[in-house]
Amino acid sequence: MEAIRNAFDFTDLPRGEMIIAALALLFLLLFPVLPHSSFAMATMIQFLMFSLYGMGWNLIGGYGGQVDLGKAQYVGIGAYTTALLMIRLDVPFWYSLPVGLALAVIWSFIIGYPLFRLKGHYFAIATIATSLVLKDIFEVWNFVGGARGLEIPLKGNLPNWLYLQFKQDYYYFYVLLAMFLVGLIYVNGFRHSRLGFQLRAIKDNENVARSLGIDAHWCKIKAYATATAFVAAVGSFHACYNFNIEPEDVMSLDLSVLIALMAMLGGAGSMWGPIIGAAILVPMKSYLGDWLGGKAGMAGMDLLLYGAIIMFIAAVQPRGVYGIVEALRARRRR
Amino acid sequence: MALLEVNQVSKHFGGLVANQEVSFALEQHEMLGLIGPNGAGKTTLFNCIAGFYPVTSGRIIFDGRDITALRDYQTARLGLARTFQIFQASGDLKVLENVMVGSFLRTGSRRKARQTAEGCLDFLGIRAAAGAMMADLPVAAQKRVALATALASDPKLMLLDEVGAGLNKSEIEGLVALLRRIHSERGIALLLTEHVLEMVMALSHRVIVLESGRKIAEGEPAAVVKDPEVIRAYLGDHYIRRRQETKDA
Repeated sequence: MEAIRNAFDFTDLPRGEMIIAALALLFLLLFPVLPHSSFAMATMIQFLMFSLYGMGWNLIGGYGGQVDLGKAQYVGIGAYTTALLMIRLDVPFWYSLPVGLALAVIWSFIIGYPLFRLKGHYFAIATIATSLVLKDIFEVWNFVGGARGLEIPLKGNLPNWLYLQFKQDYYYFYVLLAMFLVGLIYVNGFRHSRLGFQLRAIKDNENVARSLGIDAHWCKIKAYATATAFVAAVGSFHACYNFNIEPEDVMSLDLSVLIALMAMLGGAGSMWGPIIGAAILVPMKSYLGDWLGGKAGMAGMDLLLYGAIIMFIAAVQPRGVYGIVEALRARRRR
Repeated sequence: MALLEVNQVSKHFGGLVANQEVSFALEQHEMLGLIGPNGAGKTTLFNCIAGFYPVTSGRIIFDGRDITALRDYQTARLGLARTFQIFQASGDLKVLENVMVGSFLRTGSRRKARQTAEGCLDFLGIRAAAGAMMADLPVAAQKRVALATALASDPKLMLLDEVGAGLNKSEIEGLVALLRRIHSERGIALLLTEHVLEMVMALSHRVIVLESGRKIAEGEPAAVVKDPEVIRAYLGDHYIRRRQETKDA
C-alpha cells in the first residue's frame, strides 16, 4: 500500500530534524523511569494531549489555512460519548473511542458543509459560534449532566485496561504516547497525500486550485473531518484520565483558542509546529501559572505573559517557531 | 467536430455587458488567439468558458459535452486547463510540489504524480528549479511553472490568459517556441488571449477579435490585422479617417 509507505516516509526531512526527533522520542519513552515529580508527569500528559489537538488543528488550520477556533466542541463530543457510554451502558473505552470518533466526524460534516461556505474571519467566527452553541446545549441538558457534568465511577480493580482506569499516571502516559505516535505517522502520511497537496494548493490560491480540478469546498470538509478525529480521540482519553468532565472544561472557548494558539506558535502548516508549540506553551502555562498564581500572588499574570510572547512571535515570524528555524537554515545555506 | 463551441454566450454583471452573444468554435488541435483592446471582455469570456462565472445566456460545448452549467473544477477534470493572468507567487509550495498538484488531478499516487511532474518540468526546461520556492523565481520561470502545472493536469485544451504579460522580447520568443512544442508534441489545443500582439500573431492559426464584449472579426491573423473594424477598435476612429484622408490626397 502506497499510503502506508508514504506515512513512514520521513526521507524528505532534514537529517538534523530527524536526529532531534529521535532524541525527543527517546526522552519521551524513558520519561516515566527518569526521576520526576507527579506535577511534571501531569504536565507531560498535558503536553501530549495538546500536541495531538494541535496536530489535528494543523490539518485544517495549518495545511489548509482555515483558522478554526472551535476545536473544543469535538473534544466535548469525544469526552461525553466515552463518559456516557461508560456510565450508562458499561461500554469499555476501546469501544466508545470509535463511537466518539464517528459521532464527531458526522457532526463535522453537518456543520462543515455550511461553515466552509464562509471565508477568512467569517469562518473563524462561525467556528467559535458553533462550538459555544454546543457547549450551551450541554450545560442545560440534564441527560448529559448539565453544567455539573459527569463523573465516571471506578470500574473494578486497578489497573483496568478495558476502561482505561489507572492509579499511576505513567499508564496514561504510555497510552497517550502510543496515540501520539500514531497521530504523528498519520500526519506524515497526510502531508504526502493527494488531499494534503490539494489543501496546500487551496491555501496558496483557491482560484488556481479550483482551475486544477480541485473541489475546494469538499477538500476542506474532508480535512476538517480528519482533524476532528484527532481531537475527539483525545477527548475520549481525557474523560478516562480525568474521571470527571464538564462543559466548561472540555468545550470552552479557552480550550479552542489554546489549541489554535499552540499550533500557530509552533508553526502552522509544518509537521513539527504543533508539537513545538505544545512543548513551549504547556510547561510555561503550568509552571509559570503555578508560580505566579501561588507563590507570587499574581494569578492571571501568566495569561498576560504568554499573550505577549505570542504577539512577539507573530510580529517576528508569522510561521511560528518552526518558521524561525527554517529562516535561519535558509540564511545559512546562502 | 469542434473541440470547443461557444454559442451565443452573453455575460452581464448587473447592467454592465461584459460579453454579448459571442460565438466561435475551436477545432481539434487548433491554436486560436483571442485579442481585443483593454476591457474587451477577453478574461470574462475565459472565466465563462472555464466555469469560473456562470453565463447569463448561451451554451458552451467542450469535447461533445455541454459544460455551460459546470463549475471551474469540473471543467478542469474534463481536460480544460486555465492559467491566470495575475500569477500569485505561492508561499508554501516548492516548484515540484506545485506541479504535482496538477498531476494529482489524474492520479492518487504520490510516486506517479511526482513522475508526471518531473516530466513536465523537464519538458519546460525548468527541472533545475524543482526544489526552489515559487517566490524566489523570476517572472519568466514562474510562468513556466504555471504552464508545467497546467500541463501536468493532462488537458485537452489550455486556456492561456496573457501568458506573455510582463516578459521581455527574448523571453516571449522562448515562450512562443515552448507553446509550439506543447501544441505539437503533446497534441494540446490552445486558446490564448494576449496584449502582446506579436505573440498571438506568431502562434495562432486563427484569431477572434473582441471589442466591448462583442466579436467584431474572425479569421487568419494576417487578414484580421487589415480589417478596418479591428484597426478602429485598437487605434480609434480618427486613425481610420486620417488614413482615408492620406489615401484621398
